[in-house]
Amino acid sequence: MEEEAFDAIVIGGGVAGMSAAMTLARANMKFLLVERGEFAGAKNVSGGVLWGSDLAKLVPQYWEEEDGGWERFVNHRRLSLMDEQSAFTLDFKSSHWNQPPYTGVVVLRARFDNWLAGKVQEAIYASDYAEESFIATDIKVDQVLMEGGRAVGIKTGDEEFYAKVMIIAEGVNNLLTRQVGLQTEYVPADHMLTGIKEIIRFDQQRLEDRFQLQGRSGMSNEFVGWATDGVEGGGFLYTNKDTLSVGLVLSIVDLRAQKKSPHDILSHFKTHPVVADAIEGGEVVEYSAHVVSSGDKRAMPREVYADGVLVVGEAANLLLNAGKAIQGMDYAMRSGILAAETVMEAKAAGDFSLGKLADYRKKLDASYIMKNINGFQDAVHVLHDPIMQHKVPNILCDFGRLFFSIDNQPTAKSKDMILDAVRKHSSLWEMAKFGFKAGRSL
Amino acid sequence: MIFIHLLTIQGGAIKRASLEVLARGRALADALNNNGQEVELHTVVCSPEVADWDEAKWAAELGAYGVDRVWSATDESFKEHNNQALLAAVQTAHAQATDQAAKPSLVAMASTEGVKDILGALSARLGASVVADVSEFGVVAEGDGLHLTAIRPVMASKAQTQVQTTAKHVMVSVRSGSYGILEEARGQEGGTPNHEPIKIELIKIEQGDSKLQTQIREIITAAADIIDLNEAETIVAAGRGVKDETAKALIAELAQCLNAGIGASRALTEAGIYDPSVQIGQTGKVVAPQLYIAVGISGAIQHVAGITNTKVIVAVNKDADAPIFEVANYGIVGDLYEVLPAFIAEIKRLKG
Amino acid sequence: MVPDVSAPMQIKNGELIMDADRAVLNAYDASGVEEALVLKEADGGAVIVVSVGPAKAAETLRKALAMGADSAVHITTEGVEGAGEFDSDSYAKILAAYYGEQEYDTLFFGKQSQDTDAGLTGSMVAELLGIPYVSNAVGITREADGRFLVKRQGDSGQEIVDAGTGCLITCSNDMNEPRIPKLKGIMASKKKPLEVLTLSDLGVNAADVQPKTQITAYVEIPARQAGQKFSEGAAEDAGRVAELLEQNDLLS
Ligand SMILES: Cc1cc2nc3c(=O)[nH]c(=O)nc-3n(C[C@H](O)[C@H](O)[C@H](O)COP(=O)(O)OP(=O)(O)OC[C@H]3O[C@@H](n4cnc5c(N)ncnc54)[C@H](O)[C@@H]3O)c2cc1C
Ligand SMILES: Cc1cc2nc3c(=O)[nH]c(=O)nc-3n(C[C@H](O)[C@H](O)[C@H](O)COP(=O)(O)OP(=O)(O)OC[C@H]3O[C@@H](n4cnc5c(N)ncnc54)[C@H](O)[C@@H]3O)c2cc1C
Ligand SMILES: Nc1ncnc2c1ncn2[C@@H]1O[C@H](COP(=O)(O)O)[C@@H](O)[C@H]1O
Repeated sequence: MEEEAFDAIVIGGGVAGMSAAMTLARANMKFLLVERGEFAGAKNVSGGVLWGSDLAKLVPQYWEEEDGGWERFVNHRRLSLMDEQSAFTLDFKSSHWNQPPYTGVVVLRARFDNWLAGKVQEAIYASDYAEESFIATDIKVDQVLMEGGRAVGIKTGDEEFYAKVMIIAEGVNNLLTRQVGLQTEYVPADHMLTGIKEIIRFDQQRLEDRFQLQGRSGMSNEFVGWATDGVEGGGFLYTNKDTLSVGLVLSIVDLRAQKKSPHDILSHFKTHPVVADAIEGGEVVEYSAHVVSSGDKRAMPREVYADGVLVVGEAANLLLNAGKAIQGMDYAMRSGILAAETVMEAKAAGDFSLGKLADYRKKLDASYIMKNINGFQDAVHVLHDPIMQHKVPNILCDFGRLFFSIDNQPTAKSKDMILDAVRKHSSLWEMAKFGFKAGRSL
Repeated sequence: MIFIHLLTIQGGAIKRASLEVLARGRALADALNNNGQEVELHTVVCSPEVADWDEAKWAAELGAYGVDRVWSATDESFKEHNNQALLAAVQTAHAQATDQAAKPSLVAMASTEGVKDILGALSARLGASVVADVSEFGVVAEGDGLHLTAIRPVMASKAQTQVQTTAKHVMVSVRSGSYGILEEARGQEGGTPNHEPIKIELIKIEQGDSKLQTQIREIITAAADIIDLNEAETIVAAGRGVKDETAKALIAELAQCLNAGIGASRALTEAGIYDPSVQIGQTGKVVAPQLYIAVGISGAIQHVAGITNTKVIVAVNKDADAPIFEVANYGIVGDLYEVLPAFIAEIKRLKG
Repeated sequence: MVPDVSAPMQIKNGELIMDADRAVLNAYDASGVEEALVLKEADGGAVIVVSVGPAKAAETLRKALAMGADSAVHITTEGVEGAGEFDSDSYAKILAAYYGEQEYDTLFFGKQSQDTDAGLTGSMVAELLGIPYVSNAVGITREADGRFLVKRQGDSGQEIVDAGTGCLITCSNDMNEPRIPKLKGIMASKKKPLEVLTLSDLGVNAADVQPKTQITAYVEIPARQAGQKFSEGAAEDAGRVAELLEQNDLLS
């Protein structure tokens, strides 16, 4: 048994798992990655911008590959606040972002994960364990094996495998994280959202013309307000190579309370004139739904490591959704890398004790992940505040309507317009308070 | 050039699918003939069931389809399906009809299990181009050769391909329901006026290498009263939603009052609830009835692949999001135990 | 090896474009592999899997190895002229050239490819090799003397065929439930022999296996429009639909 043991077993082949695996393969570790989907990415849904530049660390010069796993880089960002008929949009486009390494690439997971898995396989072939390290798909891990309080392996069907460390990268539905006792069985739905997404296909030229895309440049657009039909959450629209990803993330609790279905709200969102114009003429080719964390720290496991265990990515609820973007994949990537590095150091030191694995926690705390999660909790709450969800978009749209209307009448001063709009939907006092809170949170 | 059709006979009658191919063959031959080509339409018959048919009987059965010549191998060995015997017969007929392959040929057959069994081997034997299971085909004459152009579904019927052939001899098998039969021709005496009387040629088959023969030990025949799904105008098909005897009885009753054939999804043939011969879909039969009533079938692509040529699809399913509703002309969202009795009663009332 | 037919695809300018360029083990071949493994478990012997195709074909061979096959042969068409357009006839000739030099008790083929549903290659190979064959098999048993008794689905029922030995059998997926590889199987598959051969290793000339059929274009299947959906209650819906059928003269 000793002979067979792996340095690490990675459970789950999403972004977090693959990033850990890539790092392990590069460091000549003997590992096993187990993914229950038929292939990597088969079960994964996500709206799609992978932020930051960690991808370039994992796959150097990835952009040079003609048909790599990614769709487009983002050089155009928009945030739209909506009411029923209008959208008030912050729009920022910059050629500053045109050069690799890009700071955000749009991905479709079924393609991206599978591509990344191919890269990891190449790294395995190049390592000392070309035939002893594995990526195995279509296999579900049923259980983490424990011995005297320490995780020692995994069980799948009637088979057991052993390793010094289990890297749990199972995603948001973190049953194994609970099994090893890092999280209580019951996570209140308050901290969870449901994400739904459609992929809408176009002729590529038409898509590029419509969104003014050049080569592989792309656009991301987030939406707040009317988009979600009164349910807490937000919408998104991203440009892929020849498709759009259009979807919503919605509070599960609020959906239940209002007895609304995500599918209906998505239909609602798609009827908004701004969205309707964007998707006009496309064909829906895929629909999917998936739970996603809200980024609320209260949903995080008690700890991200245990004896023989490291938890990475969304299994540890590492995600931030503070309004300007959802950051789940980049957190998954970085945490996967940090966990793998912890394993490497443990192996070098010949010390896989709990104390040594605690280094992962330290690395995570020192990284932008925990700094942001800790620093932006207020922003998370602001985003989910009903004022932000409903009143602010309405006020801005009213203001926009007044400000941009030119109708051969004496025109009011902008200041009066905004006051008008505020009074209609809220009060000055409420807005001032909210503005202060929001300002501080960012 | 010679068009040859392998006639499918069952229970002493020519199968509808065969007549469809014949009708298409005649239409193509006429078009070429009008263009100054010389095209003859032949059929090959491999069946003891027609051993006593005389010229008059053949003329009655096939005359109106414009068949010029019948090659009859009415050997006892065709009582049961036997691929080597069938290959030998078609090969012999083909050699004689085409004057030992001097003339180009089109061999067209209905896409039955019997034909699927020999299509590949026959094309290899004749060095022919072969296109299986087409939903449309045409012929272009070129010099003294011919090219087939055909359309056939691929990717579990999510797309179709246009195909062309290159060899001198061409083989094609045709999905049932792809062409209409000459209704007015059925059962008419004496052939069409503009055609010569049918010539009947008896062929003896050279039983090839005996080591190639396989032997049928036993045939497990499906119940004799089953309506052939390829012939049926109406089909009632059951899926996993049909779980028990009550539901099965409802299916039977609905089929009976519509004079329909009964089909099933793989979920049910696999479970042994319906006979495997009635499985409809990519692995089973491809059907093209006027009316297809899918009961408790989710509508997986592999199932739908077998019914895309159907005129009207009705679906009964309790799941409003079942994919079958995307292809159904009329969808009833409801429990089959409630819907079917009402449906049957209503149909009975309407039919009086 | 076949493309995953359940993956999203589109047709553009007459070409078929698959979103994910993924190859899977043909379901009908999986049934063949399963059957061979069952026979091996009963009677011993070895299961060898063979695929003709581009580099990607190796992945599906690994899958069969993970199921339990002993070794694999990949006849690569990487870089072979015209290989992208090969049809059943081309593959049959290549496979016949290979098997012509091999010893075997029986050859299992899939009854058809999931992507093209052609259903030709098996009987073509049998014809080229001059061996008996049975197609559309749904069950197999083996007699004490080694003869294969094959149950095949025919037009009007199931036929039990004595296929002798040294025959070729094309398998329906209704024959069995192919096993899903276990993790140990997947791990072991990496170390099993996978021989790569080129066409010239088999003495095959690319010019001699050029296809006899050509795909000139992919076209959309005329889409069936979703029609009317009724959900007002069983009696009412059934009544409405029955009436509509009556109006369309479908209640014969
Ligand atoms: C609609 C939507 C839009 C989103 N948009 C964005 C965005 O724009 N940008 C962004 O950065 N993030 C986005 N996210 C979040 C992002 O998708 C996740 O945070 C990220 O995928 C987490 O990665 P992960 O590797 O931790 O988990 P996952 O990607 O969920 O991967 C977990 C993997 O583990 C496998 N697995 C689970 N259990 C087992 C088991 N027992 N045995 C074997 N395998 C197992 C699963 O099959 C899966 O492949 C979005 C999410 C949704 C739902
Ligand atoms: C290579 C390959 C080839 C295949 N070939 C074929 C083929 O030829 N033919 C074929 O059919 N399949 C084939 N399949 C299988 C196919 O993918 C599906 O698994 C199968 O068609 C499902 O059958 P079903 O719709 O009856 O069952 P399910 O998918 O289980 O659907 C049952 C449906 O019944 C409904 N239902 C349940 N109870 C009730 C009720 N009381 N009232 C009303 N509705 C109810 C449910 O809502 C559900 O939609 C093939 C698969 C593969 C991989
Ligand atoms: N390139 C190939 N390599 C190996 N076997 C093949 C190949 N092409 C076809 N076959 C076999 O032939 C069967 C399908 O034939 P067809 O439907 O004519 O493509 C498959 O199930 C395989 O068993």
